[in-house]
Amino acid sequence: MKRTEIDEFEKLNAQLEGLHQEMSVLAKKSPNDAVNAFKIKLVNTTIDRCNKLLGEKYKPFAEFQTFETDELPSNSDVTFIVSQYIECAEKFRADNIFMEHGRWYWQLDGGKDEIRTSAPKKLNNK
Amino acid sequence: MALVRPRLTDFYGVSSAQSELDFVIPFFGEDIPLYVDPFLLWRSPSHQDEALHTGLVNSFNRQNWLLHKGRENEAVRNLILASECDEVGLGLSANRKGKRIGEATAREMLQVFRAVPEYAKHGFTHFEEIQLYVDGISKDRISDIACSFLKSFLIDYTIEQCIRLGIPLERVTLQNIYDYKRQEFVSGIVELPVNADTSAPILLVPKRWLRFVPWINFDDYFATACPKDDVVNRQGADDRVHVLLYNRDNYGMVADYVKAKERSADDCHNDPLFTQIPVTSAKRKLAEIKKLATGKGENADKKYEQAAATLLASLLYPHLDFAATQSRSEGGATIRDLVFYNNRSVDFLEEILQDYRSRQLVFELKNVHRIERDHINQLNRYLTNEFGAFGVLLTRHPLSKAMFNNTIQLWSGQRRCILALTDADLELMVQVFESKQRFPIEVLKKKYVEFRRACPV
Repeated sequence: MKRTEIDEFEKLNAQLEGLHQEMSVLAKKSPNDAVNAFKIKLVNTTIDRCNKLLGEKYKPFAEFQTFETDELPSNSDVTFIVSQYIECAEKFRADNIFMEHGRWYWQLDGGKDEIRTSAPKKLNNK
Repeated sequence: MALVRPRLTDFYGVSSAQSELDFVIPFFGEDIPLYVDPFLLWRSPSHQDEALHTGLVNSFNRQNWLLHKGRENEAVRNLILASECDEVGLGLSANRKGKRIGEATAREMLQVFRAVPEYAKHGFTHFEEIQLYVDGISKDRISDIACSFLKSFLIDYTIEQCIRLGIPLERVTLQNIYDYKRQEFVSGIVELPVNADTSAPILLVPKRWLRFVPWINFDDYFATACPKDDVVNRQGADDRVHVLLYNRDNYGMVADYVKAKERSADDCHNDPLFTQIPVTSAKRKLAEIKKLATGKGENADKKYEQAAATLLASLLYPHLDFAATQSRSEGGATIRDLVFYNNRSVDFLEEILQDYRSRQLVFELKNVHRIERDHINQLNRYLTNEFGAFGVLLTRHPLSKAMFNNTIQLWSGQRRCILALTDADLELMVQVFESKQRFPIEVLKKKYVEFRRACPV
């Protein structure tokens, strides 16, 4: 992976976590309520960039690109999709990192730099 | 083109919704049940409105001057002419025509100047106090007298608004325009919009002047200020006429009441023509609908229509102005359940007008378990002329696959768009009405987008 891609991934991952947190609160309160156009636009921006970074291989659903504002997606719809993206982003990360001497690093294309990262979540969860 | 309850703006193809306009949109065939309240002009922060109020009261008090100069007949004539202003179309008339007061009532009004020394000397500050002295003078007369004396301003206002919106003007001879310089009623040739049915001129009135009941009114005076014991003791009864007679001898009571109303002037606001029901009521209506059984048992269909009409009129406001319920076609053969004016206030409504020529939107309410071919055909029959080719079926459950395909075929064959809104859609509308995250009209747009996606390319 390139350094710029790693930077992009870390930014998007943080945004997905933030979105998930915010939308989960709304979804718990009123799961079927429609998300306003402003929020949908920002969620779509994040998802669109995730789609580009993850590519077809890691995208959660082949048929899903972004939300249609006119379809009035609900809080639970957005929470559901964002959580799928978080899971797939983690799969993407897990496939692009390695462990050396007990520490985890990103696999950098031809670089000597070492960018540390955390262990895959599936290992932490075990 | 026969619009249901035609309004000035819709007839001339102006798309603005009532909520966006400064004036109340007049109907061609009936009056609007609102009245000009002179108190709103008095309390207005606008120098223009205050000046108009001064001019209005001066014009009214001028009749006192005429009385003192021995020109009572002239004053009587003025009051009779001022007592009706058909051009504004306010009140309760079903045909935009009112009746003037008679000579006896006009003389009785003038009698107040004689009977109450305070008015003889200083005139009225709020001429609507006349309601508290003369039987037969109430909100409609106060409103008409105000409009008659302010007609010159209303002409300018109407012309300005019509030019701004592109409503065509016609040269008409307008009777009874009050000439402030000459202090008399004159006729004049002016350019005004006209009623397409009758060619009668129309005057527009600012919304900020309108209330359902004037701030100073008899009922309020009777309920809050009138000393009923005194009235009974002195007049022997407390009916309206006795109260009016009591007031003539007890100016102080009226003066105190008016002072109290002036003190609470900050609470006096204009009334909107349409008020949305609150969120709690909307939720209650939805719950009522959801509890109803399908079919006609225990009048469920009537209850469904009533609840759904109230709910939809509020949910779709201000994007769609409500026109009528149970509107009959000219021959009376068909009854359209709900009709809205297409204000084109959102992009999708513009598309409905362009693609389906719908100047008004018709909603057919069906409290049935399952929509059948007949129901769709019934709505399809309504889709002519002013309704264009777009209609909405409000029903309890989603269409079956066969019926949905039927609507798709109608689109494919005749370019007719029939959408089905269900309880679930109403629930979503109420939810966004409460959360304010989206507009309920967007639910209708969502259904339209879904329908169009299902249509063949």
